[in-house]
Amino acid sequence: MNLLRYYLRKVFTVLRNEVLVLPSRIVVLLFFLSMLLIPLVVDDPYFIRILVLTSIFAIFAASWDLLSGFTGQINFGHALFFGVGAYGSAIMNQHGLPHWATIPLGALVAVAAGLVVGVPCLRLRGTYLALTTLAFPIILLGIVFAFPGLTGGELGISGLTRLSTSRTVTYYIVVVIMLLSCAAMWKITDSKIGIIFHAIREDELAVKAAGINTTLYKLLAFCLSGFFAGIAGGLYAHFMRIAGPSTLEVQMSFQVVIYSVFGGIATIWGPVGAVFILVPLMEFFRLWPEFRTLMFAFVVILILLYMPGGLLPWIRNKVEEECPRCKIRNLVTRRVCRVCAADMR
Amino acid sequence: MKTVRSLIIISLVCVLALAVGVPAWGKDTIKIGVIGPMQFVQGKGHWNGAVMAMEEINAAGGVNVGGKKMKIELVQADSNEFLNVTDATNAMELLMTRHRVDFVVGGFRTEAVLAMQDIAMEYEKIFFGAGAAHPELCLRVAQDYDTYKYFFRAAPFNSNFLVRTSFLHLQFVAGILKSQLDLPNIKVAIVAEKAMWADPMVTASEGVIPKFGMEVAGVWRPSPVATDVTAELSAIQRSGAHVIFTIFSSSVGIPFARQAGELKIPAVQVGINVEAQKDGFWEATQGQGNYIFTLNTYARGVEQTELTLPFVNKYVERFGETPTYTADTYSAIRYSLVPAIENAGTLDSDKLVEVIRDQVVKTPTGTIKYMKDEQGRYLHELTWGPGYLLGLGVQWQDGKMAGVWPNKWKAAPEAPEITYKGIVDYKIPPWVVEAYKK
Repeated sequence: MNLLRYYLRKVFTVLRNEVLVLPSRIVVLLFFLSMLLIPLVVDDPYFIRILVLTSIFAIFAASWDLLSGFTGQINFGHALFFGVGAYGSAIMNQHGLPHWATIPLGALVAVAAGLVVGVPCLRLRGTYLALTTLAFPIILLGIVFAFPGLTGGELGISGLTRLSTSRTVTYYIVVVIMLLSCAAMWKITDSKIGIIFHAIREDELAVKAAGINTTLYKLLAFCLSGFFAGIAGGLYAHFMRIAGPSTLEVQMSFQVVIYSVFGGIATIWGPVGAVFILVPLMEFFRLWPEFRTLMFAFVVILILLYMPGGLLPWIRNKVEEECPRCKIRNLVTRRVCRVCAADMR
Repeated sequence: MKTVRSLIIISLVCVLALAVGVPAWGKDTIKIGVIGPMQFVQGKGHWNGAVMAMEEINAAGGVNVGGKKMKIELVQADSNEFLNVTDATNAMELLMTRHRVDFVVGGFRTEAVLAMQDIAMEYEKIFFGAGAAHPELCLRVAQDYDTYKYFFRAAPFNSNFLVRTSFLHLQFVAGILKSQLDLPNIKVAIVAEKAMWADPMVTASEGVIPKFGMEVAGVWRPSPVATDVTAELSAIQRSGAHVIFTIFSSSVGIPFARQAGELKIPAVQVGINVEAQKDGFWEATQGQGNYIFTLNTYARGVEQTELTLPFVNKYVERFGETPTYTADTYSAIRYSLVPAIENAGTLDSDKLVEVIRDQVVKTPTGTIKYMKDEQGRYLHELTWGPGYLLGLGVQWQDGKMAGVWPNKWKAAPEAPEITYKGIVDYKIPPWVVEAYKK
């Protein structure tokens, strides 16, 4: 009982001193809570479906950010991991494995794909790396068509088992995995590994000079990113009940880049927020089907024109500012820093 | 005062009850969802066909459902399936849950239709597929009837039959060349766009053509979006091919036809050229696409059944173009769904499935009868063959798309000849005649 009381007090303290002091953290808390509570108040299967797909793409977008945003390994073929996760899960499911096993196993296959891509790409940087990665899902697409007996060819593998027969349970499975995955990715970027990822992006030579094996860390970034993208792919395959060539299409790779750039790269929460804005927005644009893509493009271009760092960092910078002394973020209205009491003016 | 207030409250409750209750007992329309890539010609065909069916049925007073006349209401859903399969499934879910449609017609890309099929089946709504030709869609019906029984193919007949029909066209043209130009040994150049879907067709062609007593002169695989194919055409000319068997679904069909016409390649073209199925082909090839032969569903002036011309003429008048096979949403609604509803006297999907699967109906493209597989299981697959659906062979003749096949075609040596009304003779291009006439 005392232990429970201790933990409750600790949670309350963290909430009061760390979360409720910053609008961005309040928004994240509200996001977590609302995602968990939505099915209790909304019963619309279409709305739930959109949220499920949005959550899947949120994992996918955040995984791109982990690799390309944080480590600077620009990947224009991220659909490879998604597709490998989807096909991996589908093939195993076809052979009788249940989805709770196929999704993590599919993600592990995507990790292997991360190694396959990562190793030859280690020597490449910038544009060369981006263009090389672009080729990998196209190569895999060729393999998919070359072995229709295994992959289903142009049809893909259909008739996969559902995540659950209940839409609400499916929602909770996907949303909980999304929240945990995104939290894990955010935690990774906030850890020592994340700092090294950051440093590799900024100045790889300096990191090497510090005695850090950058090759290992870049491979680690490819594998971690592949794992989370693979999880997204597996969830997608089981939710859609099909893993087809569309999971490997170039459009899928570019979509994730758009989400990340729109939301703000090297943040994790930026791409997640962007997906939760852009996917429902695209659905809303169904009201004007002829102009749907045009309106989507207009919104993206407008945001990038006026907020080149991404929409969400721009909003955050409007309501919060960094302390010039201790670099801790404070509400923009504060006169002194909440931690070091430095003058914020 | 108290009485007045009570009266107001009672009235408000009554109004509210009416407002909520009317949709339940006052439903006087049958909602049909039309799903397809609406920004593309295929989706426009889906929509146009459905609109024509709705207009005709509603003008005639609506559908008689167990003694009650109900009008048809269409709901359009853009599946965007060429670009995004997820979008297609969202559109289907939207039809099912927001618009609460009673039936769905449409779909084009097989991968998307498979995913959409699952959603429609989950809601137990009858879905007429009018675009995807892959047999898998109907195999699912046979394999898991309880789940997939609500799916019916409306158009086209499945891809195995499409290939079979193309080979019949090849034999037909080769026969004419043999008899008119006295060519004993016909050489065939197989030209297929470099796309995955064409691979099995190329393999099949290489295997089957020698069995028809012809020789394969070679296989050429231009890019689906090639704009210059003169190298391939020169090589084909050098190979001595008399016939070019085309397998094109993309834009390469236009430069291939145009440049072959410009170079006066002494070989006739037959097979599948999707661009040549469109009314704009003549302009796109600047008239050089003359004599190109392709598989098609409709041609102006050709009568597969007595229903064809009224449909085609009205469609042309209404939309300014010849219908494509995705416009067979018209037949699905007008001739398959509505008669079934009137016979069953209900909108209940399970009861309607039992009627539709066994009904034989005449449509503008032929007679529709749903097949069973070898084990006697319901497939909900269109029957191909004489008396049912055959498709057409069309040839561009001086700016017009003319129907040229079936023309005195026999399914078997002892079978009766089949020639549709409006079919004209196939014409060998004059430069081919000049090249080979002895």
